[in-house]
Amino acid sequence: MAVPASEGPFAVEARHLVKRYGVVRAVDGVSFQVARGEVFGFLGANGAGKTTTLRMLCGLVTPTSGSSLIDGYDVFTDPMQAKARLGYLDEEPFVHPHLTGREFLDYIADLYRMPRGAERQQRMERLLGLFELADRDGELIGSYSHGMRQKIGLASLLIREPSVLLLDEPTNGLDPRSARLVKDLLEELAARGTTVLLSTHILEIAQALCRRVAIIDRGHIVATGTMGELRTQTGSEQASLEDLFLELTAGPESKEMIERLLAPKPS
Amino acid sequence: MLAASRIILGAEILALRHRLLKRGPVRLALLAVLLGLAAVLIGGGSFSLGVAAARYLPQARDPILAAAFTALAVMMFVLGFPTVIASLFVGRDLLQLVLAPVRPIEIFIARVVLAMIANLLISSLLLAGALGVGAGSGAPPVFYLLVVLLVITQVLIVTAFQALLMSIVLRWIPARLARDFAAAIAGLSGAGFYIAWNLNLRQSFEFRTRPNLTSATSFIQQVGWLPPTWPAHALSGVIDGGVGQAAGWTLLTLGLAGLVATAAALLYGRTLLAGLGVFGGATLTWRRSSQRPAAVARAGAGSPLRAIARKDWLAYRRDIRRLSRLLPALLFPIGYAFAFSRPSRELSGFWSEVFLIAFISMFMSTTLGTPSVPSERRGFQLLRMAPLPMWQVIRAKVALTLPAVLVMTAVFGLVVALIERNPLAEIVELIALGMWLGVGFVAVGVSAGAIDPRFESTDDRRAVGMVGTLAGVAGALGFGALSVGAFALLVFALGALAGTTHLGSLPSTPVIGALLGVAAFILVAGAATVVGALLWAANSSLVRFEDPIAAT
Repeated sequence: MAVPASEGPFAVEARHLVKRYGVVRAVDGVSFQVARGEVFGFLGANGAGKTTTLRMLCGLVTPTSGSSLIDGYDVFTDPMQAKARLGYLDEEPFVHPHLTGREFLDYIADLYRMPRGAERQQRMERLLGLFELADRDGELIGSYSHGMRQKIGLASLLIREPSVLLLDEPTNGLDPRSARLVKDLLEELAARGTTVLLSTHILEIAQALCRRVAIIDRGHIVATGTMGELRTQTGSEQASLEDLFLELTAGPESKEMIERLLAPKPS
Repeated sequence: MLAASRIILGAEILALRHRLLKRGPVRLALLAVLLGLAAVLIGGGSFSLGVAAARYLPQARDPILAAAFTALAVMMFVLGFPTVIASLFVGRDLLQLVLAPVRPIEIFIARVVLAMIANLLISSLLLAGALGVGAGSGAPPVFYLLVVLLVITQVLIVTAFQALLMSIVLRWIPARLARDFAAAIAGLSGAGFYIAWNLNLRQSFEFRTRPNLTSATSFIQQVGWLPPTWPAHALSGVIDGGVGQAAGWTLLTLGLAGLVATAAALLYGRTLLAGLGVFGGATLTWRRSSQRPAAVARAGAGSPLRAIARKDWLAYRRDIRRLSRLLPALLFPIGYAFAFSRPSRELSGFWSEVFLIAFISMFMSTTLGTPSVPSERRGFQLLRMAPLPMWQVIRAKVALTLPAVLVMTAVFGLVVALIERNPLAEIVELIALGMWLGVGFVAVGVSAGAIDPRFESTDDRRAVGMVGTLAGVAGALGFGALSVGAFALLVFALGALAGTTHLGSLPSTPVIGALLGVAAFILVAGAATVVGALLWAANSSLVRFEDPIAAT
């Protein structure tokens, strides 16, 4: 059930998002925009603030300050409009272990008030087939592997055709075949106008899929732009995304640390 | 203590410290005040009861102590099972311990100590009461030391016995049924004991100037040989100056503790991996018996309310654990129905039926309604992300719970009314009251769960935090008292209007009837306000909720 998007250039807008937990600033003034139909990469090390930012964008976590807009609708002041357009996949997908895959898709479709009928049924069958879950019909989600949960989570987003997808590590736990399927699917969805904000550790996927990326480090956005813009910013014209990421997040050199760790003990 | 056990316990204490400090100073102070108040009120009350029992019923000192030790042992056995399973058989951290060069006995010691902490908290009631008995009897100082030793020993026996039972269960019962089997055994034995206790003792404390303890003492004498009563006999021996008796029963208790703990430790060592196999990973092996063809989709708009209700119904049907917990819950109202319909009671038949219906309605609503929101677990995030106001979620939960509660209340009310041969008008009044109470109690129960949900809990009985529990109890008591009060006023008002009721010193006139009616209306409004306030608090809590929910 695609909800028509409102007018305006951006599908996703993070405006000065801040999230404090006590004295810790998990996210500190994060701002970026994602254009309609764009695949945007959101990169960062573990604990950098990616998941907190995504959860603020989809309304699961209230920001200490700042705002999140989906298709121009504020997630916190106009939640019904924003949520109807939004699909969020957590790194550990939210599923119901006592339902079968088909029952879970039916549940999600009803929650979003999708009209019942043959069209919905066909879409459900197509998605189950696409993610190779159709022959697991009798099994409860509780017995699914992590990869299968990830697939049913993705299917539960796609059944309702949201105009904006926020995906937190969507290829996490997927076998290479399924990871490739997800990659191709996201490309196709973007080509048809769906906006995708993708958080991932796998930089090859980000480099292949995303037109622009934002890199977050310790709660701050340290760089936003296309590969070319990032290369210009760092002054390394031939650098890969991995090189740029490591340079911008500026941790200690891993080679040096390994040498220190494995150095012979003093006798 | 063994080094590894100390390290494991140290890590647990550190984790507990972090969990406490995470709450922030205001919530910590509030928690401390609440706990302090509870300790003063409940502990002080228990101590005072002990003192009074020892002073005014010296001949019943041993049965009272024996009853207290037995009741607490049963309570620990029933309530402590999830803790024992969680501490000794579940948890990814146990996998780490199994992989480390740590002997099972060391894991057992550390984990039994952890499990004992929960049971010790329950036993603090017994400790306060027993100390009161000592104070009321003028017992020598050694009594107080012995009380502490015997209460801890009793806790060890029960905890080790639970571990022993689970170790046996895991060896003989099909793995996927082990937890449900243990829960069912614990629940049924607890419920059975409670009903037997209730039926035996009810007569003893009803509307007499002095309680008649004959049935109580005879019941205790019948079960006086059971191990849970041994510490009581030892303590009675100390009070009576019988050194031999005290030493004998104490040694027997300590010996039993040693025996049970050793047996449990040995069996646990052999069953640890089996337990982890059962509880550590995915246990949902349910499969449809035959692959049914996909149902032809019905036309019409999708309904979130129907979706939540259908999902809950399917989850309930397929979760044997939740179903097995319902069984003992259903036994309590049946026990009460028997107890209330005993011919010996001196309260008017009609009014005891009113209280019966109120109790059953409240009990069923708490059992079914309170965990309904927290049982969403991580799936709650799906509801938060859907374009769905939280009040619709609460409405769906109330709508799903209500029919079960109303049917149960109506059936019990009808059965008791027919046994008592109530006239039709009274039956109608009782059913109407049942419907009103059902709606209110279910709303209160669902709200209590929504006010302070613990979505990460895998056990429905622990799915609501302290704030929610207190709100639920206060709300249910407030709503129940106001509703039953309004009902009573309404019954008397109708009687006064008809001139058929005796109102004591008040004349039975239409004016008095009208005044009683107005008072009843005010109480009804008060009851509705209580429910409304809780629903509002529940909605606000769910709208604000944003804690991450751990994958369980």
